[in-house]
Amino acid sequence: MEKSLSEYITEAKKIDDLKFNKKLKVAILSSFTVNGLDESLHVKCSELGIGYRSHIAGYNQYNQELIDPESDLYSFSPDVTFLILDIRKFFGEYFYKLHTISDSEKKSFVKEKVDEIKNLIMNFEKNLNSKLVITNFNIPYYSPNGIIETKMEFGLHEIIEKINEAIRKISKTHSSVYVYDFNLFVSKFGEKNIFDYRQFHMGDIQIALNFIPYFANDLMGFIKPISGKNRKCIVLDLDNTLWGGIVGEEGFDGIELGHTPNGKAFVEFQKELLSLWNQGIILAINSKNNVDDAMKVIEEHPNMILQKKHFANIQINWNDKAVNLKQIAEEINIGVDSMIFFDDDKVNCERIKFEFPEVLTIELTDEPSEFASILKDLNDFNVLQRTNEDRKRGEMYSEQRERKKFERTISNLDDFLKGLEINVKIKKSNEFLIPRISQLTMKTNQFNLTTRRYQEEDIENFTNNPNIAIGCAEVSDKFGDNGITGVYIIKKDERFWMIDTFLLSCRIMGRGVENAILSQILLDAKENGIEEIRAEFIPTQKNKPAENFLLEFGFKKQDNVWIYKLNNEIKLPNHLKVEIE
Amino acid sequence: MMEKEIHTIISKVFSIPESEINDESGPENIESWDSFNGLVLVDELENHFKIKFTISEITDVKTVSDIKRHLKNHNIS
Repeated sequence: MEKSLSEYITEAKKIDDLKFNKKLKVAILSSFTVNGLDESLHVKCSELGIGYRSHIAGYNQYNQELIDPESDLYSFSPDVTFLILDIRKFFGEYFYKLHTISDSEKKSFVKEKVDEIKNLIMNFEKNLNSKLVITNFNIPYYSPNGIIETKMEFGLHEIIEKINEAIRKISKTHSSVYVYDFNLFVSKFGEKNIFDYRQFHMGDIQIALNFIPYFANDLMGFIKPISGKNRKCIVLDLDNTLWGGIVGEEGFDGIELGHTPNGKAFVEFQKELLSLWNQGIILAINSKNNVDDAMKVIEEHPNMILQKKHFANIQINWNDKAVNLKQIAEEINIGVDSMIFFDDDKVNCERIKFEFPEVLTIELTDEPSEFASILKDLNDFNVLQRTNEDRKRGEMYSEQRERKKFERTISNLDDFLKGLEINVKIKKSNEFLIPRISQLTMKTNQFNLTTRRYQEEDIENFTNNPNIAIGCAEVSDKFGDNGITGVYIIKKDERFWMIDTFLLSCRIMGRGVENAILSQILLDAKENGIEEIRAEFIPTQKNKPAENFLLEFGFKKQDNVWIYKLNNEIKLPNHLKVEIE
Repeated sequence: MMEKEIHTIISKVFSIPESEINDESGPENIESWDSFNGLVLVDELENHFKIKFTISEITDVKTVSDIKRHLKNHNIS
């Protein structure tokens, strides 16, 4: 349930955006009245620790704002622009009389309308290097053609569908353009709820006021990944979360999973969780239970959808759940702020909320049939693009468990590293690598010297700039392929090179991969007659693991810059193989 | 009873203390009572009392006493 619009409007006035480190500039262009959307987004951003600034275009001024290169929109230079159009204004009088014109006129009407949108997008791309989110159009339940709507060429519904299809095509070929499926928003809540004729006639309000917060919530689905606030890991309780009842009391045969109505609800919830796992969301267990009872269900219950292999980490014990959660974060090596915690117990939920307010804690209801939709209503798992690394993440974490086992059997770190047979492939950036490189700069927090976030458009510009060296590292070992897990961006000057970005995914930290990549950069610079490499370390709350990297590598600090003179010897790590592509 | 509820909602929508609200309050003397916030008020009242005003009722409102009169028509008193 959302708060009411007036609560958002009141709360928005009290926000102090200056206290947030992360900033976001949002532009809203709309063809109808969306008052209150700005305030709702503002409050929702502040709840995530995002300092929000906005540019709200005048009523129905989107054309001027997008076409004029000197417009306020372009001088504001937003990180994301929402273009919210309504079908009535977009179609004009034709909205009511499409069925009165000939088929060929309808065809050219569709083409004209699609070209209009294409032209707006072209102008946007010419003037801004950031994300554009455009809404598609609601297909109204009513058609003047009645029951023969589907029998005729180009009925009202078909024409809107054609335009929606064209918008979808544009987003497939333009990496900075995203579509917000407004038609699905209306179908989720119902056209008769969303469209209130009274509000429409009184103020051209086409999303009823009490639904503006829900609309804002959906748009947060774009803002979260753009601001790096998306979640990567779901931590789950077991009893009354993955199955009904308490296995320690009711026993293996007493729990509800499958068959009964409640049992089916738990199966449905598990299926939705598995579907997220298949998209790269990490699952973990945090349960107060007898480990033998609980593992027997996970490993042997015929209706368990989630298997042991789907969990990157399992904490089943009688410890404090906050301690367990911290343990999970450390062992998987991700920040607690990228976690969601599901539990049916109020006390456990309060405990986690108190200890880790940055975790998104979801207290489940006592109605298991709601679990699947509670999960599906979260828009915290969105990514701006899905890479191969995302799809393989689940497997990679099982491989990681095997590596940990291997680590425990060998006592000497050098022997361990040699035994891993690590292979590092260094690749120059190209069009296929751009999405992954951008993604790593957006979400890598720990081993990251400067934590500069770059959108795909930025990475594309760097790749095409001869004065910038940009590349990444693909790392594999005898347990499997870790995919692309390291990135460097270097600004070349005649006498020195400056490291703008150097990062390593937390999955492969502590294996000397960072030294291998950096020494290759140094060798390359030396061959190019460069005298020194400069680097900086910008401390954040999270990048402590990278704090001593430059010092330990042999860089010397002068003022605020770390310098490595290339007349020094360059040490190459000998426990791994490096290939240059 | 109803008066208290109405005043609470008005105070919330226009961010003013309840003590400043009386039957004569309206767009004339409450600064934040503009046409948009007026619609937000209608929306809040409708959701709270589970009723729907007509456009004529909404556009007719000049003061808090008008609101109370229209609510009476919807059997809220």
